[in-house]
Parts: sequence; C-alpha cells; structure tokens
Amino acid sequence: MRPGILVHTMAGAPAGPTPGLALDGGGSDGRAPTTAVGGGVEAGSGGGRHPAPLLDSTAMRVLLMRTCLSDAIAPKVWKATRRALERAGVEVRVPRGQTCCGQPAWNSGHPGQARAVARHTIKVFAGTEEVVVPSGSCSAMVVHSYPDLFRGEPDEADARDLAARTVEFTQFLARHDLDPRAKPCGAVTVHDSCHMLRALGDGTSARAALDRVPGLEVREMANTDQCCGFGGTFALNYPELSARLGDQKAHDAVNSGAPEVVACDLGCLMHIAGRAHRTGTALRARHIAEVLGS
Amino acid sequence: MSALADQMAASLGRRKATWEMADPDGAGRAGARWMADAGVVRAVLADDPLVERVGLAAALRAVGIDVLWWPVALGRREILGLEGPGDVCGVTVPALAVAERGTLVLEASPGHGRGIDVTSRHHVALLPADRIVGTLGEALARTYAAGRPTPSAVSLVSGPSRSSDIEKISTLGAHGSLTEHVVIIR
Amino acid sequence: MSSRRRRAPGGVTYDDVTGTLRERTLTALRDPGLAANLRSAGTAWAEQREVMDRDYGFNEMRDRARDIRRANIRALPALLTQLQHRVRENGGTVVRAADAAEACRYIVGLARARGVGMVAKSKSMATEEIKLNDALEDAGLEVVETDLGEWILQLAHEHPTHIIAPAIHLNKEEVAALFRAESNGDVPDDREGLVAHARMRLREKFAQAEMGISGVNLAVAATGTVCIVENEGNIRLVTSQPRIHVAVMGMERVVADWDEAAHILQVLPMAAIGYDAANYVNLISGPRREGEADGPEEFHLVIVDGGRGALRGSEFEEALSCIRCGACLYSCPMWRNVGGQTYGSPYSGPIGAVITPLLEGPSSPGSRDLPFMSSVCGACGDACPVGIPLQDLLVKARARSRSPATTKAGWAFRLWSLLWRRGLTYRLTIVGWRLGLRIRGRGGWVHRLPGPGRAWTSVRDLPSRWPPRR
Repeated sequence: MRPGILVHTMAGAPAGPTPGLALDGGGSDGRAPTTAVGGGVEAGSGGGRHPAPLLDSTAMRVLLMRTCLSDAIAPKVWKATRRALERAGVEVRVPRGQTCCGQPAWNSGHPGQARAVARHTIKVFAGTEEVVVPSGSCSAMVVHSYPDLFRGEPDEADARDLAARTVEFTQFLARHDLDPRAKPCGAVTVHDSCHMLRALGDGTSARAALDRVPGLEVREMANTDQCCGFGGTFALNYPELSARLGDQKAHDAVNSGAPEVVACDLGCLMHIAGRAHRTGTALRARHIAEVLGS
Repeated sequence: MSALADQMAASLGRRKATWEMADPDGAGRAGARWMADAGVVRAVLADDPLVERVGLAAALRAVGIDVLWWPVALGRREILGLEGPGDVCGVTVPALAVAERGTLVLEASPGHGRGIDVTSRHHVALLPADRIVGTLGEALARTYAAGRPTPSAVSLVSGPSRSSDIEKISTLGAHGSLTEHVVIIR
Repeated sequence: MSSRRRRAPGGVTYDDVTGTLRERTLTALRDPGLAANLRSAGTAWAEQREVMDRDYGFNEMRDRARDIRRANIRALPALLTQLQHRVRENGGTVVRAADAAEACRYIVGLARARGVGMVAKSKSMATEEIKLNDALEDAGLEVVETDLGEWILQLAHEHPTHIIAPAIHLNKEEVAALFRAESNGDVPDDREGLVAHARMRLREKFAQAEMGISGVNLAVAATGTVCIVENEGNIRLVTSQPRIHVAVMGMERVVADWDEAAHILQVLPMAAIGYDAANYVNLISGPRREGEADGPEEFHLVIVDGGRGALRGSEFEEALSCIRCGACLYSCPMWRNVGGQTYGSPYSGPIGAVITPLLEGPSSPGSRDLPFMSSVCGACGDACPVGIPLQDLLVKARARSRSPATTKAGWAFRLWSLLWRRGLTYRLTIVGWRLGLRIRGRGGWVHRLPGPGRAWTSVRDLPSRWPPRR
C-alpha cells in the first residue's frame, strides 16, 4: 500500500434495499447519512453505519461527482467508481445535494439555465479536494466550459477553482498512479468518448487503467476516434443520423472481436447499447468503473 | 547547389513531371529531343535570352518542329489549341524553382506570357540550376523582395494539370498541360 | 445554360432547397452510395494528412498558421486599406461591397458597360455566397463554370457537396451521361476521355468569354496581390484569357506580407487534400502591363463584407480565420454521412453550420437549425489548420439561434433548471424517473418513451437496468 493514503478495508458496499429507487441523502444506495465532514457531505467509506473515519492529514481525499446520468440510468456506475477509488486507498466523500453539471442546457444553447444549475454544483463541491467524475463529458464541462460559462460573473473565481480541481476518474487514477485491484476480466474493446479524447485530450488513461486488470485484453476497434453519435440532445434532434453513427460504432466494436465495449461515458454507452439492442446486434456495454470497481 | 538540383529532381518525380540534367550547350538539343519524342509539332518559346543561349530554336528546327516566339501572332482559338496543330509545347524559363516541392516560379513579362504553359498540351521548362532555392518562403521572399517591382502575374507550377473531380481519382491534363518536362541546366 | 441556383433575397442559403434540415438528412441517409463515397473520401483525406505530418511536420505548421490568421483579423481594417492602395497602384480597381446585392450590382453593371456576353468562372465560395451566377444570368449573360467538378454540377443543376471537391458524390457513368446531354454527341466512357472531352468543350468557352471571374484564396496587403490556388489550370485561363478579370473575395481573406502568404499557401493544400502543393498557384497583381501580350486589360477586385465585419470583436471572431480548406468537412462524422448538399448552403460542414447563420442572421429559416446537426464531437476543431475552436463556436451558435425548436427547448430547460438547481427537487425527479423506468422497462429495456423521450426510442431502446441486458 502506498504510504500516506488512508486504507479502507471495508470495500465493496452491499447494494441498497431497492436499487435505484431510494430517496436518500448523498447517495441513492439507501445508506443512512453519516457524520458530515466539511459541511453536508457523506463519508463514503465501506458500507457500515459508522461515523466518518478521522482523517489523516496526509490521506488522499476526494469528492465524487455522481453525475445525473448515473443517478438516472445506472447508479451502479458511481458506486463502482467509489469502490474502485476506495480500494486504491482513496478517501471518498459524496457531497449531498449534488445534481448535474449543467451540460445538457449549455450544449443545447441555453447558457443561462446551465449557469443556474452549475452554480449549485459549484456550491456543493466547495472545498479543496480534487473532484473525481466518472464521465469524460461532465469533466470536460466543468474543466473547459465553466470558465466560459462564468466569465464576468461574480462567482467566476469559484468556477475556475472547481474547474482546476475536477478530474475524470481514469485520469485521476493515472495522475496518482493508483491501482483499484479489479477482479480478473476477459477481452473488452474501448470506446473513446469525444469529450474524453478531444476536450480532455486523453486517449491513454482508460487503457492504462485497464492494463492493470488481470486477464483483461483490450482489443482495439477501427475508427476509435470517430464519434458514436450520442451528442446529448443531438441524439433527440437528429435520431436517424445519430443512429447511423451508433451503428457504425457498434459495427466497429463487434468487429474488434471483444464481446463487450467499455467507455468512460455512460451517455455514449446507453446510446450504443440501446441502438445495438434495437438492431439485434450482440454487444455488451459496461462503464469502465464497473470493470475497475468489480 | 547540386544538392538542391537533386532535391528538385526528386520532387519533380513526385509531381508526375519528368526531368533531365544538361550542360548549357546541350540543353537546347535535350529539350528538342524530348519534344520530338512526345510528338510535338509546334513550340511556343518564351522570349528569354536563355532560350537563345542554349540554342533551343535551332535544335527544334533541326528536328522539324515549328518554332514561334512569344508573343505569338495567333488568334485566341489557335492559342487555345482549338485550331491549328494540337501537339503544341510551351517553353518557359522559370525565374526560380523550389526544391522542397518541385515548384517552378514563372513570372509574367513582355517576353513571357501568363498562359504559355497552360494553353499548350506540353510544357518544357529550361531551369538553370542556380535558380533553385530550398523553400517556397525563400522563393517568394526573392520574388517580392523590397524594392523589386512586383510582376503583374506570377505562377507557381507544381506538376502537370490534374483533376480529381471524377471519382476522386487523379487524372492528368484537365485544363493545363498534360506533361511537364524540366531541363535542369548545370 | 440555366442556373441551378435560385436567389433568396439577401440570404446566403440556397432557396431552391426544399424541406427542413431534418428531412434533408433523412433523404441523404436513404441514399446508399452517398455515405460510402463520402466516407472513403474522408478516410483517404485523413491518411494523407498523416503523411503530411510525417513528411513536413504539418501539425506544428498549424500553430503558426493560426497565429498569422489571428493577427490578420485583428489588423483587418489596416490590411484592407493597404491592399486597396496597392491594387490601385498596380492599375486595378477595388470595390468594397457591404453585401451580396452591392457586389452583384457592381459586377453586372461592369459586364453590361463592357458589352460582355459570356463569363468564364472558376470555383469560388464567395461568388456562390453572393449568388453571382443568378444575378449574371438574370441580366442575360451566359455563365460557364470551368472547374471540372463545378461544370459537372452546372450540367446536373446541383449544388456542390464539398468546398474543394464539389462533385465527389457522382460516379463516372453519371458524368458521361451529363456530358452526352450537353454536347449531343459521342462522349468516351473512361475517366481520361471524359477529362479530355471537358477540356476541349471548355476551351470553346474560354475562346469566347469576355470576362473571367475568380475567387481569392488570399490577398497580400503589402503588394496588392491576390493568390488563387488550383490543380486544373482553369483559373489561370480564367485570369489570363478574357479581357476583364474580376476577383471576388470575402473581406477576411487578407494576409500582411509574403512571409505570411508563403506559410498559409503551404498549409492550405496540406489541410485541404493532404497534398504538399497545389499544381498551380496564381499570384496576380493587377492587369497586364505595358508590352505584355496576354492577361486581362482590366482587373477588378470586389471585397465583400456580407456580415463579416460585424464578427470582429464578437465571440465568433475566430471564425474569420478560416481559409476555406474544407478539412472540417472531411473530418466531420455528420458530413461524412449526409454530404454538403444536405446543409442547403454554400458553406457546409461545421464551418458552414457556424458561419451561415452568422451571415444570415439568427432567425433565418434556412440556417438557424444548422448548428444543431452536430454531436459537437470536436473532430472539426482538431482538423482545422488555423485552430478555430469549431466545437465551441457551434455551441455558441446554438445559443444565438432563434429557431422555434430552440425556443421550445428553452422552456423545457427553464423547468429543468428550476428543478435541478436544488438537491431535493432533483432527487424527486430522479426518483420519479426511476420509478417510471421500472414500470415501463420490465424486461430490462424500454421500447417506447413518451414526450421528448419519444425521439430516443424512435431509433433505439433505453436500458432500464444497468449493465444492459442482452
């Protein structure tokens, strides 16, 4: 174990009573709120009802941004992210009351509405810790678009501060050379989401993390740099064109020979998997956190 | 200087142009021989002292090729090859050339028409090796050097005319010359 | 020759284009050959670009190209004044046109005053933008497009599909049929034969045309020179055979000096076609001089504002750096699937989706939807040789759009924003949503969603469990 990192031994939280249906505090996994640390945050260690551990000043602590898509479609993703981080020795806190980064409105040309939601996010994630996000897209929004969105606003400095602290999950692992010690896994192919690849300029962190998974083999697909066609509200505005691109991506993924596609973004995956299911294409999809936090 | 000439030759090859090296007294004969092989029946020569110096006109007449000097007393239809012989070769003398890209720098002047090379089916350039420079930047800096009067037209020519407009496949001879042959004069 | 373009008053978009953007997208998706053609063109372009980077360090050249163009735009008024003086010193005429109508009026007036009957044109985005062909034809002039691809389109009565490669969506059999109809005679079937046929047919036009009209890739302020780049040689003929040469340029296409011009002229073909030099670059500084036997007797430079001036100092200023290479089109997954004609405007692809609504105004029915036909994947910004952040500008263009769809979405986002700016109301919507998901998605999938979700399930299912069931 790396020195200076608080070790959690109670990794692997049991699932909540009614997965995905709980009306709860910081997380939606049915845990009772624990002692608040730093104001309205839930200490996310282990799975027990116990106070947050006393924090070692040298421990690596992060705030986890669950993301709205994970809340809405796949709570397992953010929980797996927390599990992976904890197994890597990181103290994870999931701030209570978090909602969405604001990207849907920003990308659709409604910056005013995006700002109102983003302002809430800035408050929720106040602090000095790094903010880890299991999404290249949400990270790109905070890292790249917040400074733009808040230019000239009274809270511009806070927006820039959050932008500087925010990091995508696999980038965080790479930055601190962390190994979540995932369970063995077979072959997968990797989909580079556009926000990860181009907005964050990172085509390596996901693969580096997967390289450490025992038995896992990455089979690269063709045209890795081509968009899958999700594009947020684009998927609703131009569904047929979006579907065409999704088909091309699913085709390339299947031809890689791997039975499963993984990515750092849930949006891309639910589009690719949803289109594959509609067209009867045999392709499994999983968020990278589910592989690393398995 | 010979390194630049070699680089120029290699670049011309990439551009689907042909080339040969010749001594000053052999350049006229070399050009005439190439034209005769290409089936040229008439040559339109830029009125440049170099053309005379290498004896091109005499060499052409010796192989039976009709010689006209720029400016030619022909109508526009004949200049464009719609009348008269089709196998015409325009002969130019580049002011400079760019080794890196295989580019000829043709400057318009009373003796050198803007369109000599593109109106004809074939194009032969007589290029003194000492006019070859390394990059386009150097060539344009010299062409447009401060204090030097700007020519009314400068054409950068990098290989024979081509078009990829039909099925994206490069096809030669779209509007300009189908061939380009450069005699590099040592 | 009848026109394929109809004029929309004051607008950039074509007004013979029918249907909504969404409908045109569907039509394009139904064309089985189109996407295959476009994708292979895009792939070939991408491979060539890598060769350029390997052989010439293209990616590093882009940084300087970006800096040059940014500086040009900042200094634009001074550069244009200098350009104007130099062209006049060279014996040319310079006209500054505020909009398309002014530019067309000048050129048509000039043609009439000089008794011009036929105009030979070379490919030019600026003339396409101002709909010059319509104006000339309405005045009774014959206009011939002399670029091979553009001529094919003129015969087919179609709009171009790409800035650089206008007719790449047609195959050689289709081209041969068009040539046969035009010449009423035998036309060879092979590509070489077709090119040779077009060469001679178009030379007949060059022999008659009294006026040549070209675009401008770059103008050099220091010497009053226009640079026009091509591969075929038709531009040289357009600018040297007719008695009058009119060059039409967008006002942003100016560089300071030859050092800058040399750099941009090298970057342009590399970015556009992944080739290290265009076959012909024509550098023209005015009409023929004393003693010269060819070249036009008159040279007119028409500099079109058309809404560009207003972009300086705005959040869209970077779009003025564009050198119209078409790289963002080739790189764009949307363009690769639906082609340029779907956009319904001369400028297609990402740059077209950004600038067309800027030039036309945020309420224009023909262009206000364009910024939305993009997944904002950023491939365009990556491909741009002058570093225009196209994906960011697309998002900003969405915010500026005044389409009914945007307004409608605006109301939805207002509600969304009210609910999601608080933890409690957010959780309520999430719980409600997940409850709905459980009810509707018993088999692990939702096949039909109501309301705005209908568009999602019109083409794909929604997983109600994660990871999705097979």
